[in-house]
Amino acid sequence: MEKINIICVDDEREVLDAVMRDLDYFSDTFNIEECESAAECLDLLEELDAQQEYVAIIISDHVMPGKSGVELLSEIAVDERFLGTKKLLLTGLATQADTIQAINDARLDHFLEKVWDPQTLLQTVKELLTEYIVEQGIDYQAYIDKLDAPTLYRLIKP
Amino acid sequence: MFRENLKYILPVVLPLIILALPASSFGIDGLTQVEHRVIAIFVMAALCWVLEPIPIYATSVLIIVFELLLISENGLWFATNDHPDLQGKLLAQSTIMATFASPIIMLFLGGFFLAMAASKYRLDINLARVLLRPFGHKPKYVMLGLMLITAVFSMFMSNTATTAMMLSILTPVLAFFGAKDLGKVAFTLSVPVAANIGGIATPIGTPPNAVALKYLVDQYSVSFAQWMVFGVPFVAVMLLIAWLLLVALFPPTITKIDLNIKGRFLKTPKALLVYITFIGTILLWLMGELHGMSSYVVAMIPVAVFSSFKIINKEDLRNISWDVLWLVSGGIALGVALDKSGLAANAIAAIPFANFHPLLLIVGASALCLLMANFMSNTATANLLLPLVAALGASMQSLLPYGGHVALVLAVTFSASLGMSLPVSTPPNALAYASGHIKNTQMLKVGVVIGIIGLLVTFAMVFLLNKMGIIGA
Repeated sequence: MEKINIICVDDEREVLDAVMRDLDYFSDTFNIEECESAAECLDLLEELDAQQEYVAIIISDHVMPGKSGVELLSEIAVDERFLGTKKLLLTGLATQADTIQAINDARLDHFLEKVWDPQTLLQTVKELLTEYIVEQGIDYQAYIDKLDAPTLYRLIKP
Repeated sequence: MFRENLKYILPVVLPLIILALPASSFGIDGLTQVEHRVIAIFVMAALCWVLEPIPIYATSVLIIVFELLLISENGLWFATNDHPDLQGKLLAQSTIMATFASPIIMLFLGGFFLAMAASKYRLDINLARVLLRPFGHKPKYVMLGLMLITAVFSMFMSNTATTAMMLSILTPVLAFFGAKDLGKVAFTLSVPVAANIGGIATPIGTPPNAVALKYLVDQYSVSFAQWMVFGVPFVAVMLLIAWLLLVALFPPTITKIDLNIKGRFLKTPKALLVYITFIGTILLWLMGELHGMSSYVVAMIPVAVFSSFKIINKEDLRNISWDVLWLVSGGIALGVALDKSGLAANAIAAIPFANFHPLLLIVGASALCLLMANFMSNTATANLLLPLVAALGASMQSLLPYGGHVALVLAVTFSASLGMSLPVSTPPNALAYASGHIKNTQMLKVGVVIGIIGLLVTFAMVFLLNKMGIIGA
């Protein structure tokens, strides 16, 4: 099976732990990585790219010391190595200007507000993951029990 | 650890052992080196398709490449420089490479173009909307409608794409079912079952049919229309049985359902051209005797039309399921190697098949095919079994009273499409299972019953065809 990664970025340890707990459903099939800053995430991306692993989803907080989440995601959005990577912003503190930038520059795939509902986060990640796998042409059959069936039905074309 | 790696070790080691054995150990008189190598390639293909260490289409490519290396005139030096008597008959490289573009592959390519254009211009979903209307709102009849439409679509589109489309129509409706309503199971299962069955009705319905066409040539040839003459009634009977079975096993308690499909028929010039080409191609396929064109030639017409009018553009072209085409090519290449090397004929002569009762052969081969198709890809099953079965069928005189070669090939081909008792049996099954509405055991129950009934209906059909003189001598 292909190595497919989900990356979570947040400067608060407790938030990362909570996200990891909510995404535990995926942990036996996919690789879930934790980063405590944007810089750490960018380093990790270089490493994963060097190993030619897939980066399916980046779930990022916005307000962090150093580079902000929107800045991080904007940078990734124009990196042709991660063209298909799904970007999810998970934040409680985004101004309207941040949100506009997140949509226009970071090309967000999804926006979730803190505090989030674990079920919603799980379902969102499921749908994004399904889209990523089909769009990348990865054999979805190997992952089918972790994917979102309605999304799969919508995306399979003759 | 060792057990886990067995699927990688066996396909490498066993063929090598076979190559290392002396030629006399196979019990076939005068086995040539080429024939010896064909046995090794066949064993490798069988192990790779059953154990799936690599994708199934990659196995097909391996077959073709190994044939080119080991049994073609332009292969490796040590494989081609021995004394002709020992070496046997080498194949021309063009014969092997041509399997990638055999008429059968072109027929499928034409089918893919039709399906892609129909889906792109929403002909499929709009037809589904219109055709479902007469079935009203009673769950039982809506399900019948759904199954009929799924089956008809899967005659011309891939079973997987049809299933995905119909399940996506169905998903919002299933939310209205009660949590305990068994009708959800019936509806979710009805789609893959109908798609699996529907593929049987036409030569382009499903890849195993394509593989069968390779063995239905010359005096045994079956035209597109002839195939449908027995394929469509078979599918109709099976659908009716499947519907009754699903309604009896999982009766819906909900009293009214409303499938709400949005949209309207496109009326742009391109869309109209798609409709005309679609209908025109099918009519030409059905009226082969009038215009003289074979179904293979007809299949190239939509390819030309859709390319010229940019209905299928460069991006669409990239999205064609080349893996399916290659999978079939490998099967054809395997058949070509068995046949052209002379191995098929020699092996049949060496084994006293004449002592077998011909009915035992038809029943046994079909049952084996059904069993294998439940656990592995239907196409790979057909790829493996049909060349063997076809060689037998062509040589067994005692088979003639029972419909001969054609009866045997058809029975095995139909059986390959009837394996549907597990989520892994077919991609449509996997998609339906992913919905989370059905349990393993429910799919198993339905799949086993339909498989067995399907086998019996197949035998009945072959018997009738033979009695009516449509197949056989």
